Amino acid sequence: MTTEAKDIRWGMVIDLDRCTGCGACVTACQAENNIALTDQQGFAQGRNLQWLRIERYWEGEFPHVRARFLPMLCQHCDDAPCEPVCPVYASYHTAEGLNGQVYNRCVGTRYCANNCPYAVRVFNFTDPSWPEPLEQQLSPDITVRSRGVMEKCSFCIQRIRRGKEEAKLENRGLRDGEVQPACAQTCPPGAISFGNLDDPNSRVARMARSPRRFRLFEDLGTEPSVIYLKGGGHEHPG
Amino acid sequence: MNTRDKTYSAARMNEAMLSSMQPPTLRWYLLALVLGAVVAVGLYAFTVQLTTGMVVTGINRPVMWGLYIISFVFWVGLSHSGTMVSAILRLSQASWRRPILRGAEAMTVFSIAVAGLFPLIHLGRNWIFYYLIPYPSQYGLWPNFRSPLLFDMVAINTYIIGSGIFLYIGMLPDLALVRDRSTGWRRKIYGLLAIGWRGTAEQWRVFSRGSTLLACLIIPVAVSVHSIVAWDFAVTLVPGWHSTIFAPYFVIGAITSGVAAVITLMIVIRKAFKLEEFLLPLHFDNMSKLLLAVCLLWSYFYFAEVFTTWYGHKPIEWEWFSYMHDHYGLALFIMILGNTIVPIVGLCFRRVRRSTAALLGITLLVNVAMFIERFLIVVPSLSHKNIPFIWGSYTPSWVEMSIALAAFALFFLLYTLFTKFFPILAITDVREQEEALIGQQQLGRARVETLVNEE
Amino acid sequence: MKRRSFLQLSGMSLATSMLAGCRKGNEKLLPFLVPPDDGISPGTANYYASTCRQCPAGCGILVRVSEGRAKKIEGNPRHPLNQGKLCARGQAMLQELYHPDRIKQPLARSGPRGSGEYTPISWDAALQQLAEDLAPYRQSSSAGMALLTAPLRGSMATLTQDFLRHFPGATHLAWEPLHPEWLAEGMLGELGSPDYDIENTQYLLSFGADFLESHLSPVRYGQGFGQFRQARPTIRGRFSYIGPRLSMTAASADRWLPAKSGSEWALALGIARRLLQTNRQDPAAMQAAGLSAAEIANLVAAFDEAKVAEITGVNLADIRTTIDEAVSISPALAIVGEMVAWQSNAPAAIAAVELLNVMLGNLNKAGGIYYSPTSSAQLSSGYGDLQRLIGQMEQGQLQLALVYGSNPVYSLPPSSQFQQAFAKVPRIVSFASFLDDTSRQADLILPGHSNLESWGDIIPPAGVRSEVIGLMQPVVKPLHDTLAFPDLLLAAAKALGGELAQELPQNSYLEYLETDLTKRIPALSTGDSRQQLDRLLQQGGWFGPESEPARLGRLMPAKLPDEAEFAGAAEQFPLQLQIYPSINYYDGRSSHLPWLQQLPDPMSTAVWGSWLEINPQTAAQLGIAQGELVEVSSAAGSIQLPAVLYPGLRPEVVACPLGQGHSGGGRYAEGRGTNPLQLLAQLENLPQPRLNLGATRVRIKPLAQAGALATSGHPEGSYRRELLGL
Ligand SMILES: Nc1nc2c(c(=O)[nH]1)N[C@H]1C(S)=C(S)[C@@H](COP(=O)(O)OP(=O)(O)OC[C@H]3O[C@@H](n4cnc5c(=O)[nH]c(N)nc54)[C@H](O)[C@@H]3O)O[C@H]1N2
Ligand code: SF4
Ligand code: SF4
Ligand code: SF4
Ligand code: SF4
Ligand code: SF4
Repeated sequence: MTTEAKDIRWGMVIDLDRCTGCGACVTACQAENNIALTDQQGFAQGRNLQWLRIERYWEGEFPHVRARFLPMLCQHCDDAPCEPVCPVYASYHTAEGLNGQVYNRCVGTRYCANNCPYAVRVFNFTDPSWPEPLEQQLSPDITVRSRGVMEKCSFCIQRIRRGKEEAKLENRGLRDGEVQPACAQTCPPGAISFGNLDDPNSRVARMARSPRRFRLFEDLGTEPSVIYLKGGGHEHPG
Repeated sequence: MNTRDKTYSAARMNEAMLSSMQPPTLRWYLLALVLGAVVAVGLYAFTVQLTTGMVVTGINRPVMWGLYIISFVFWVGLSHSGTMVSAILRLSQASWRRPILRGAEAMTVFSIAVAGLFPLIHLGRNWIFYYLIPYPSQYGLWPNFRSPLLFDMVAINTYIIGSGIFLYIGMLPDLALVRDRSTGWRRKIYGLLAIGWRGTAEQWRVFSRGSTLLACLIIPVAVSVHSIVAWDFAVTLVPGWHSTIFAPYFVIGAITSGVAAVITLMIVIRKAFKLEEFLLPLHFDNMSKLLLAVCLLWSYFYFAEVFTTWYGHKPIEWEWFSYMHDHYGLALFIMILGNTIVPIVGLCFRRVRRSTAALLGITLLVNVAMFIERFLIVVPSLSHKNIPFIWGSYTPSWVEMSIALAAFALFFLLYTLFTKFFPILAITDVREQEEALIGQQQLGRARVETLVNEE
Repeated sequence: MKRRSFLQLSGMSLATSMLAGCRKGNEKLLPFLVPPDDGISPGTANYYASTCRQCPAGCGILVRVSEGRAKKIEGNPRHPLNQGKLCARGQAMLQELYHPDRIKQPLARSGPRGSGEYTPISWDAALQQLAEDLAPYRQSSSAGMALLTAPLRGSMATLTQDFLRHFPGATHLAWEPLHPEWLAEGMLGELGSPDYDIENTQYLLSFGADFLESHLSPVRYGQGFGQFRQARPTIRGRFSYIGPRLSMTAASADRWLPAKSGSEWALALGIARRLLQTNRQDPAAMQAAGLSAAEIANLVAAFDEAKVAEITGVNLADIRTTIDEAVSISPALAIVGEMVAWQSNAPAAIAAVELLNVMLGNLNKAGGIYYSPTSSAQLSSGYGDLQRLIGQMEQGQLQLALVYGSNPVYSLPPSSQFQQAFAKVPRIVSFASFLDDTSRQADLILPGHSNLESWGDIIPPAGVRSEVIGLMQPVVKPLHDTLAFPDLLLAAAKALGGELAQELPQNSYLEYLETDLTKRIPALSTGDSRQQLDRLLQQGGWFGPESEPARLGRLMPAKLPDEAEFAGAAEQFPLQLQIYPSINYYDGRSSHLPWLQQLPDPMSTAVWGSWLEINPQTAAQLGIAQGELVEVSSAAGSIQLPAVLYPGLRPEVVACPLGQGHSGGGRYAEGRGTNPLQLLAQLENLPQPRLNLGATRVRIKPLAQAGALATSGHPEGSYRRELLGL
């Protein structure tokens, strides 16, 4: 199945029944996107820069206790609350349904982060640094963000670009599953799928029709492009 | 112009009212020095922030806004004293307004100017603040007019300009007076500022019309400014912020803090420049009644807001509310004490309303409570937003506190300078009143002074 | 009207009124903001296949290299083990290459031992010193020299053997703390190492096996687990976990049975009993193993549900349902793991679970267990061998210790006396890349390449049904003046001359590797072997055909495990300590990598440190709050740790991850957190001595001060999932 760029709406499906909480995706994202390091104090102060986090929720008391994992990243809301509040269009919407972030444009009002119900926008409180020669790991495909700039998951836009370029060179449209964000690529149990929601036959579109589907804060009308599938056996009703 | 001599000679009155403009004393210099030093500490703190990043603040995820925005809201609120109070009083022809006008209007200008600094200080990349300004760039880029921050930018600037003009125009006859009484280069400068005011009948006519018009215009601007500040919060999806009541509630809060600040300043100015003969108990009494009224309104709004949250008990709304209650109990108590209990109970009494000592205490308390109120609006909601996993809290850092403190110092410094260079009482207005016939009227059990001949 | 369209409209009307005069530029607003898709294209990158060395599993990796620099590590989709997937540790291996605190050239000690004072020396001088150190032990049968490594397989095993053959008195200790030597001690150990066919099973029972975190091959099993859950259209695999701690693996289970430490085996026997009762056992499999149904029935007769509940301390209803499910859902697979193996009663407890698998007919069956007998040489030592070596060191019999690829000063508890004995060795030579806990004691350090600069062959110890030889190749030129350990062995052989030099004539390890691989990989001996090797390097290794299924010999009939013993008196030390391998640091080998330090632990969500997990009830009794510093004491020692209130833990158990508390290893590891091994007390008189990481008793005391604890999750918010509608 091939699609042309104009009818793409990127989306992600995260199957909570597969996610084991292992965190491989978090490191993948950090490695792929030149995300700066945060020390212990930074974490304690809520200044972690990771674009993807695994939320762990406890449920119940011993001995009837469970833990649930929820991978949380930018939901690339179709009706993104972070966008209209940005005074300089640094947070903007692309034609393919991505919530983009123009680092050069961002003046650091942090308004978008307040208005993101998913709290996935992270702010560069200081200039990032990598002691020599650790900076050699930095990917040349992605800029390093300076202090004062907001950032967040981009759905690995550099990979989308590369995929499109490759497809263009071969004079064809993108194949389903051809573009994989770093997190989806590495996830051992295959909990993350990525693709074109506008193509009814794509893997994500098919999964998005699962009866286990739900989106976070549906009531807020943000229309997220990340669709979760409930973890569900008999112990997970619904 | 009626020049009939009454209690004072015109000259003596002018003298008295211009007393604040006498050459600075040592005490004045000391005060200015102290204030200047505090401002310098703030500047240093800001330099640290500018060169290191927001890491030197207490800001974090999820509390992305902190003391700077709190201060911003506070100072914008304070600025509603002046221009708005004075405009309302002008329009409602409350004669007792006259000695208060100038002080209040100047306060507006300085507090809105101080307020305007905070959004800039708050930016992560302050050095490109001009991205917020709609200027024609080679990229054809404009700011996003859908963002309340842009509304803010426009509103604050309009208000700064508007209230500046309001203050300036109202000062014209007095500037001419100062011009006439000064010599040398001062005379030149005041001459320029007075733009040829000579007090002809035609000038007075235009002046009076213009003042009324400006007063009419400035009120909607003032209302819109604080409504827009309220919308910075209210249009978001943040639980605790997303509330339709915010705009009027903020406006009332602003007026409350503004009126209280005007009273505080009146007391200070009266004492500092020995203006007891112009700022009479009557003025305090009337201002206190106004404060009582807005405190009642504020309390009503607060109750309406809290009651609906409590009654609705929507889990996430209840969450930030209980967080505020559990973690900021003392602050909450001071806020209620200062904005509701003390002023409403206290100001019911005429003795209190006419006692400058009591009023000083009450009005300072009101503004402390108002500052706390802003803190309680910004911080608890952000601390416990929709995603419980990353809940957090906020403590301002020394940098933020220094800057917030420096803002107070800057305000007082500007004010102090203003009193040295400009008449702090609206001389012509006061004289107009003094020269009018003062009548007295029985209202219930009270005898109220009224101006019988004011048209 | 929607909220944002309202804003849009009002914004627009405001904008138009303000922009009346400058509308011209406004039209280009969006085209300028959205960067053109056909704009600047990223530089092209090359991918090189290699193999992960961050844990013994040996996953295949692809390294993205641009401009001569390795940029990212991804899973190798063609590698049969991990099929394109990778865990966090594997990805963080990149930071080992570029670590700012790598040893950049050979070092000779210049200060007192442990001071970290070294003088850089040339490789010539270093090699000469090495040769001089080794020379006295050549052809001498006196025990004066030891080589300490991790367990070795493939060409590294043969090379060290080829080398050490000329040092007849030398000891080679190939040991690491998490090496599953206990698998070999079990009933099925002789069959090789297991590949659990998780993806095809329908009911999964883990007996303390954290197979998604650290057990054998976490990426392989993680991948299997995903398929087990949701890859089959009408089947969702069901999973129960039994063990005292709700580990990350247990958190993925449908049911957690919080059994007392060392009691898990009772459930296996309870299921065995019901299998026989309901006649659902696999008679053929039992017969092949020489197990008599009657004998087993006799053995397990007492283990009815009530008895199992009593032994395990789990409530009866859950035991009953689990037994019901295990006997009625087929295929059902039991995995036994470290939490069982690290108890005093381990051999019998492991045997109980293995017995269950045999009775379920799980050998060589879809949804069961496959064993791949590996033909390749493997060198590994047991904890007993280690104890013997410690004894030799104590008595001053050891003059020279060579340490490669292992960090025993860190990974052995002080109660083993290793550190003390090691200090008595007059000459220590290390081949480490970092000044870690062990290499800090060395007199001479000959720093090795990082993994991404090295050649090698890695044979996955578990998780594959076919013969697999993963290959490592340098993906970048060495960053520093380092040399690979095997190259050093060859160079030393040359320098020492004689027979040794004749038998190891290769000029480089690559040459040796080629020769060695040619012996093991049939394809390499035909045609152009260089070309063939290039092809294998390109795909990441040699992935052979599926091996013959392992045949079961006669099993010793299982015997009932004893009650688990714990080191330390119960009156003095009321709690039991469970030390578990961290998913981020494994046995502590990856704690020097900042990406892993700042990857929140999946359960505690803590970063950059270590912590003690305490059940909230226990904590409340002792008056301990989250983040508060507590003193943990055992018969062996006492340490301080910040508390994490952890509801998924039995009240009598406290738990602490392994991996932090290094006295070396660079800026990110050194002095960070605490090494819980300091608490480990030795159990006496065990038939199979080993590191019993779950068998020490402790007591804890609140210190009424805050510890250094940073968590990514809010302690109270972590309990409020209902606010998300989750
Ligand atoms: N003294 C001296 N003079 C020389 C030369 C010399 O060696 N010495 N070399 C000569 C030669 S060979 C050349 S090619 C010319 C080069 O002369 P110029 O073309 O003037 O080159 P620069 O000054 O490098 O860059 C021009 C501007 O482009 C901006 N810019 C950077 N990136 C972008 C972008 O993405 N978009 C847009 N719109 N602008 C961007 C930069 O900020 C800069 O202001 O100079 C010539 N002049
Ligand atoms: S999840 Fe947050 S950052 Fe992402 S598009 Fe939605 S509102 Fe914006
Ligand atoms: S922080 Fe940056 S992206 Fe966010 S609203 Fe402010 S300018 Fe826009
Ligand atoms: S899609 Fe890319 S940027 Fe977003 S979380 Fe995944 S790896 Fe990170
Ligand atoms: S890598 Fe996959 S399984 Fe692991 S935490 Fe991320 S989404 Fe969950
Ligand atoms: S499981 Fe082990 S070998 Fe595989 S990627 Fe992770 S650390 Fe590397």
